[in-house]
Order: sequence, then structure tokens, then C-alpha cells
Amino acid sequence: MKELEKVKRISIASTLFILAVLIGVLTFERPKNMYAMNTKTTLEKLSTNDYMVSLNEITPEVIIIDIRSQYEYDKGHLETAINISTPDILSEENQGFFNELKDANKIVVLYGKSPQEANIPFMLLYQLGFDNVKLLAVENNYLQNKLITSQIDIEKPVADIKAFIAESVKKSNASKTIAEKTEPVKKVVTVQKKKKKVAEGGC
Amino acid sequence: MDKKKIARVAAFRYKILAIIFLVLAGGLVLLPKYQKQEGIKSETLLSHANSTERYISTDQIANKIINQDPSFILIDVRNEDSFSNYSIPNAINIPLKKIFDEESLAYLNQNQFDVVFFSNDNFYADQAWVLCDRLGFKNLRVLNGGLNKWFSTIINPKMPNEDMPDEEFELYSTRKAASMFFGVVYSDQVTTEDSNVKPEAPKQVITVQKKKKKVAEGGC
Repeated sequence: MKELEKVKRISIASTLFILAVLIGVLTFERPKNMYAMNTKTTLEKLSTNDYMVSLNEITPEVIIIDIRSQYEYDKGHLETAINISTPDILSEENQGFFNELKDANKIVVLYGKSPQEANIPFMLLYQLGFDNVKLLAVENNYLQNKLITSQIDIEKPVADIKAFIAESVKKSNASKTIAEKTEPVKKVVTVQKKKKKVAEGGC
Repeated sequence: MDKKKIARVAAFRYKILAIIFLVLAGGLVLLPKYQKQEGIKSETLLSHANSTERYISTDQIANKIINQDPSFILIDVRNEDSFSNYSIPNAINIPLKKIFDEESLAYLNQNQFDVVFFSNDNFYADQAWVLCDRLGFKNLRVLNGGLNKWFSTIINPKMPNEDMPDEEFELYSTRKAASMFFGVVYSDQVTTEDSNVKPEAPKQVITVQKKKKKVAEGGC
């Protein structure tokens, strides 16, 4: 009889244990929008893959996505572009949409006001595993309320700063005898005004 | 008879239990798949990235450098060649490809300093920021506009037109003073002192030092 008691206890304990595990498994929530890549592989892929697309590479099969706000989109957008603004990019609906496009092997091109702006959603989607996502190297400006899209190069230095500084030094050495243009320099003193501002704020 | 039956079932129970536990153990093998997620959640990352508070302006950086603010480090994420040609004084070169190298992490993953990323634009700097922010590194900033803006605002500030407000002129003179600090020489500057230009630059800096006082007032 005693043995039977023991067996009972063991089985009760183990059923409870199994129940606990089952409840744990059932209530376990799979995190949404999981990364498919860790940071290191993302970095590697970024440096090896070509993810910039220029305007003339766009074919009708390419899906163009405008990541600016609805307002900006309504004001003017590229033809055939779909509006998914950056803050909504992770919503269930949009993720489903991206998944569909990925399954259909379609290339998705993002653009914003500038490539810098589209960079953030691009990086996010890329890390989520959408490696069919690319960036459009364009800048959008308005001229008299009309959207002007122009091709730009990212990360292109505007000037050789070192050369500029060297040039300025050279110039000043060459023209030592320029006189009486000191007025703008005197204006430096006006920085004091800023000081006043902050003092007022502090009080 | 009854006892025998119960005993048989009891023996059988152990087997069932063992099998169930084995199945559960097998389930554990599947679990690590979910735990592979590295860094913060994608939603959190997006909300971080959407706010522009990571951006720091070129004027702020110029001020900090001139005041010898020790609280930040500048990280140049361009390649070595561009870095050796020109970079902001005291910047450290960590090309974007190498930001996860052992020695780079020592700079990036710490709580002591603000880390300011910059490149020619803020494109690569932003990418570095996104990756590091995902890993949960603290105090990451991005120089807004990068070196291009650094050039157009600090190194080569544009003279305001006469019809522009007073503030523009103030800003211009501050920036001009800053550019002198960073080595640019203006032709009108040479007239005051004969030929040696460098002593001039520190003099100009004094105006900016006044901002130091600001901090004291703020403290009150």
C-alpha cells in the first residue's frame, strides 16, 4: 500500500509539472518582426551587396515605396509608388505585404526626401531579412509645389577640406598687405547676446 | 486481481511519463531559435531611429572641440584614405566595415563618453548608428550632415546677405571664428598681426569661451 501511495504522489507531481510546461508553451508569444540577420552579417552584406539603385535602373516590375508621410506623399510622389511611411513599416499589414513581395521575388525600392531618410527603414527591413529591398539614390525637392526628383550620389564629399584650408593659408600669405577689412571680425563680440538668452532661461 | 492490474498500470505510467518528458526535452531543442534574436526588438529600434535626438549639429561639435569638452569621442566611419586626407581634429577612424572589431568595440560599447559618428554625409554614420543601437550601446550620436555640412558651416561659412537678420551675422562670426580655430586663414585676419597667423586664432576663440559661463549659469 505504501508503495502505491508513493506512485500516486509521483504521478500527481509529474502531471502538474507537465501541465505547467504546457501552459508555458501555449502562452509563449513569438516575438513579432524578428531579425533574420544579426548585426555582423548585416554589416557584411551591406559592404558586399549593392543596394543602391539609380532612377534609370527602375523597370516596371520594380515595386517603388515612398516612405515619407501621407501628407508628403499626397503632395507629390513618383509614379506607381506606394506609400508606407517609416513609422508604420513594422505593422502587421505592411510586413505581410513585404513578405508577399519577397516570396514573389520582386525587387522593392525605397525612397524618401533623401537617401538618408530612406536609410532607416531600409536598414530595418534589411535586418528583418528582406534582402530584396533596395534604396533609390534620389533627392526629392519641391519647386513651386511640383515634385522634382533628382539623382544624387550618397556620401560624396562636396569639397576637399584639407585643400581648402591649405588654399586659405596660401592666399593669406600671398596677400599680406590687404588692409582695413577688420570690421566683420569685430562682430565676433556679438556672441555675448546668446549668453543673455540662456541666463533668462535659467531663471 | 485488482492489485495486479493497478501495479501493471503503474509500471506503464512511468513509461508514458518518460516519453512525455522526452518529447518536452525535444521541444527545448526548438526553443533556441526564438532566442537567437540579437539586441533590442525591431519595434524599439524603429522608434529610436524615428526620433531625431541622435543628431548633433556641426556648431555644437565645433563648440565642444574648441572648449575642449572631454565628454565625447568622434568616430570617423569613412575609409582610411579619406580619414588620412582630412578629418575633424581628434577623431578616431573606425571604417564602417570594422565597427564590430574587438578594438572598435572598446570605443563604441562604453558608458563614459558620447560617441559621435560621422562620415561625408550622415548616411554611413546612420548605418553605423542603427547597428550599434540595435546592440544596445549607449550614448550614440550622429553628426548631422557629416563632413559636408562641417565644411559648409564651420570651415567655409557663407557670409550672410545684408538684409538677413542679426542672428545670421552673429552665427556667421561665431562660425568664422571657429573656422580660424580649425586652421582656415582669412586674408583680412592677417592685417592685424603681421605674418604669424596662429596666435590670432586663439584670440578669436575667446568669444566662444563665453559659452562656458553659460553652463555655470544654467547650473544655478
